Amino acid sequence: MSPLKRSPFFLALAFGIIWAPAAHAKSTTIDDSGSAAIEPSVLMRWKTAVPTRTAAGKLMVGTTTIRVRINVMPWLKHSGRIYLALPAQQPGPISLSWTTQGRFLPGQLVSGNRVLVYAGRITTPFMEDTLLFQFSVDGALMRRAVPVTYHFEMDEE
Amino acid sequence: MIPASREVRCGLDWPHRASLGVALMMAVSGSAWAYTATLTPASPKAVYLQVGNGTFAGATNCMGSGSDCYSSGGTPVNNATVNTVSVTLPVAAVGNGTAQAMTTNSTAADSFWDGYAFCTVPAQLYIGGFYRTTGPATAAAQVTATVPAALTDGTGGTIPFSQIKWTSGGNGDTAANGFLPEVFPGGTFVNGGVQTVGSMASNTWNESCWSFSYLNTAVPGAGNYSGSVLYTMTSP
Repeated sequence: MSPLKRSPFFLALAFGIIWAPAAHAKSTTIDDSGSAAIEPSVLMRWKTAVPTRTAAGKLMVGTTTIRVRINVMPWLKHSGRIYLALPAQQPGPISLSWTTQGRFLPGQLVSGNRVLVYAGRITTPFMEDTLLFQFSVDGALMRRAVPVTYHFEMDEE
Repeated sequence: MIPASREVRCGLDWPHRASLGVALMMAVSGSAWAYTATLTPASPKAVYLQVGNGTFAGATNCMGSGSDCYSSGGTPVNNATVNTVSVTLPVAAVGNGTAQAMTTNSTAADSFWDGYAFCTVPAQLYIGGFYRTTGPATAAAQVTATVPAALTDGTGGTIPFSQIKWTSGGNGDTAANGFLPEVFPGGTFVNGGVQTVGSMASNTWNESCWSFSYLNTAVPGAGNYSGSVLYTMTSP
């Protein structure tokens, strides 16, 4: 095998070694088993009662309140960055926005991404806040009830 | 307080030091801890059809027009009004083959979607509506007209309903803005029966302005002829 043919292989391998840890290292899903939802399900309604004269106006929105309680004891007295992650999943693109009571940061994201909700020193074993979530989904994707999963992630510093 | 449904959780205790390695591997796989919210469509299907005058609840004052409409928060309510479309022919013109424009007593001129000055009254009759449903695009909702065989004068005189035709338009409706062809196209009434007069794709507002005319090729006796057409919307 000539050096020219080998080079791309080593190049790709090198990128893999360098980039893979940057994307995933020390990112840990946080125990949120202490969280609870106020409502058992999120009722999705048309964002606007009326459709438009074109194909727009098909967005459905629904809100729910979650009392978030995450266990950050493993990172106590350390600094970290906590993200809210909404993986890409069925039924398709999902938008999520939320407000908080101040413990976490408000924000918004589209499925397949994560957004920072806390950065700093972990000073208590548990972190709590009440989040008001609003989900937005294209009504064309909402033929029936669908489960949507999200979680919190810790990036240690 | 009701907990939302959750994925299956693995293990009861948050990591001891001895099991940290295993826990981290689970976390990297991305499913050890997660919250599941169930998004449930609520009252997703709705249909609305308006021919002529309509009524919307709520102080909407669309675009400052003074009219009510949807885009300003109006909610449609039932309106039992049966509007008329009519024409009076001079004796000398009866049956001469020159079509006679008809006018309506409907006062619906502005779009009931956004208040835009859409139809010209009394020359045009507003027709509009929508079909709301979740899920992928379905077959269109159909709008049909149930037409009597003829207009009658109460004394045995008749005029075939096929003597009435209509054209379709609307201020600002152009191919460039995507509003052509009209969703409620022009046509001619059948002489008794049910005919399709338009269709509505799901999740779009549909509207047109109809201009009716009497073809004037029949020679009926003098009198006041009338008949009622019933418009029906049927969704999949």
